[in-house]
Amino acid sequence: MTPTATKTKAAPRKLEPHQTPILARDLLTPEDHRELLNQLYLARYFDVRLIKEKKRGRLRGTLYSSHNQEAVLVGSLYGLEPTDWISPIHRDMPAFFLKDAKNGWRNPERIGMSIEEVCSQVWCKVTSPGRARDNWSHIGSKAKRIIHSTSMLAGTIPVAAGVAYANRLDGGNDVVLTYNGEGSTAQGIFHEAINFAAVHKLPVVTIVENNQWAYGTPLELSSPNKDVADRAKGYSIPGLVADGQDVLDVYDKVMQAVEHARAGNGPSIVECKTFRAYGHGDHDDDRAAKYRPAEEVERGRSRDPLAVYKTWLQEQGLLSKDEADRHSPEGRSASEVTDEDFPHEVVLYMKEGIEYAIQAPAPPAEEGGMWVFKE
Amino acid sequence: MASSIEYQQLVKKNYLTAIKEALDGEMTRNPNMVCIGEDIGILGGAFGVTDGLLAKHGRQRVIDAPISEALIVGAATGMALNGKTVVAEMQFIDFISCGFDQIVNMLATYCYRTGGEVGMNVVIRGPAGAYGGGALYHSQMNEAWFCNSPGIKVICPSTPYDAMGMTRAALRDGNPVLIYEIKELYRKRDIEEELPTEDYIVPLGQAAVRREGTDLTFVSYGQNVYHCLEAADKLAEQGYRAEVIDIRSLVPLDMDTIKTSLAKTNRCVVVNEAPMTCGFAGELVARIATEAFDLLDAPPLRVTRLDTPVPWAKSLETFVLPNTQKVLDAALKVLKY
Repeated sequence: MTPTATKTKAAPRKLEPHQTPILARDLLTPEDHRELLNQLYLARYFDVRLIKEKKRGRLRGTLYSSHNQEAVLVGSLYGLEPTDWISPIHRDMPAFFLKDAKNGWRNPERIGMSIEEVCSQVWCKVTSPGRARDNWSHIGSKAKRIIHSTSMLAGTIPVAAGVAYANRLDGGNDVVLTYNGEGSTAQGIFHEAINFAAVHKLPVVTIVENNQWAYGTPLELSSPNKDVADRAKGYSIPGLVADGQDVLDVYDKVMQAVEHARAGNGPSIVECKTFRAYGHGDHDDDRAAKYRPAEEVERGRSRDPLAVYKTWLQEQGLLSKDEADRHSPEGRSASEVTDEDFPHEVVLYMKEGIEYAIQAPAPPAEEGGMWVFKE
Repeated sequence: MASSIEYQQLVKKNYLTAIKEALDGEMTRNPNMVCIGEDIGILGGAFGVTDGLLAKHGRQRVIDAPISEALIVGAATGMALNGKTVVAEMQFIDFISCGFDQIVNMLATYCYRTGGEVGMNVVIRGPAGAYGGGALYHSQMNEAWFCNSPGIKVICPSTPYDAMGMTRAALRDGNPVLIYEIKELYRKRDIEEELPTEDYIVPLGQAAVRREGTDLTFVSYGQNVYHCLEAADKLAEQGYRAEVIDIRSLVPLDMDTIKTSLAKTNRCVVVNEAPMTCGFAGELVARIATEAFDLLDAPPLRVTRLDTPVPWAKSLETFVLPNTQKVLDAALKVLKY
């Protein structure tokens, strides 16, 4: 049940001048590492801030926290080409603005959503990319190369396969990264879609965020596989296991799958072992405390992705102890941290998004009856 | 004389050929069009509708899919999202239930969810309908499921002319369209007709008056239109002139043609071969009752399948399905009300 370090976990290594890069991380620069760390802070702060807003009754619907799972999003998105596609699901809200974020968080040219767009969606405003018609993570954009998801889990994998197929017809090899929970690997469409992608060697990488719990159902009741990635064997495609608490291990494994896909070798499954910090949604926090043993939760949350990464950075001499201690939200719940625990640039970026969203208008009521069909 | 008849037979085309030529023509016209379905390429389709497309347009654009209806619809959705026009074939329309979620939740809602940004150029088509001994799983008319799911147009041509013109219209519509092709009509000889050689479409959402009359209106679609026409012949023998309306398009629905007819006849019988409860015949009666109550001199009647599956043995099949006699009986009841 615990998201233990996995059998394939790479040992931290520092590249000497004479050494050949082996892992994708070996090519990351100190600037990349600063950006990765900041993205982890940003994903955490976004979540923390929304939890606080939700508790104050300012948000509609259910909040699906990505707390403790941020390394999966940051690590998997970081190596993508801007023109690659993604399909995030309910627990992946930060993915919308993390996509292509390394090309400048506020860069209007980047192929990812702005914080203003994402906050507009959270606050149900007409400035949301989906004009606040479906909730939370159910947004997307053709221009930003983000597939719009539904609540039917694994349902975007066939769409991802179609996107990839069409792109191939046009002579491209854009990779499509789909996000799924371990629970959704039990869906028939998970099989149908990956089977098709494997038959046609489509560049579709299926990330399985194995956070051990599908709502109230533990992994052993969802899947006979201890490693969900083993399902890949049935399609004769690679099934990789990453330590979902380690942003660099996620990065390495996802890049392996992405390069495999881009080279025309077909799809992969990358299982990222992690742990859901809270309930399934914020409505479920109290009950989750009952159906999940306290010691399991404690163990599952004991390896905060921020802490894991900061430790590695210090070991590599890429981060001083002072820098590491300056902002330390790791290991603490949303209610236990304040803005002071995060870098100022992260707080400021989010603040811009929220202020924009609050001032934006709600969709005009009559839009509820519009666009059933394209005119 | 004999040779001229033979020549006429040569240029007449059946319902299946009309669809095949529409698909082939659109694939030729539109290099961004793709077809995906089970056995549609190498085999040419279970009924042969797509026969020849693979040889002409290549296997990249004519995709033999695994037996995975949900995948077929989902992949079609993804291809459409990325700029393609896609025809997704259901080998039998009965199997569409396996792709249901991808149709009603993923495909049909796409335009609405994106605030009108993304139109889906996806046509789902497949052989439908009973009367051929297909039994429970090769006989269905499940169109009501999709008429009750906002975001997908639903059509059902009954002639070769409409099959060609509506298939073309569907492919150029820019929205998801579901075509119920009536497999009993695919090769029916007596409905073969000469088709225009020039490009034409039959716009979606326009009903056709198949026979004019003043005493009673039949409202129907698919092969039941022919039951209505036969019943109208028999009514004529008794001095009644029945009008027959083929709605052709369920979503969107042309109520104007129905109301214009009711203004003349004041009586109507609605006929379809789906089960009665919550079927599209019920929707038609409801629309007539709410929009044309003042025009009616008698309660509208429905002739539908019983609320049963379609059984196999001929005696059983006949018992549960509409036929000319049942349509005639209902018409006389309404006329004598």
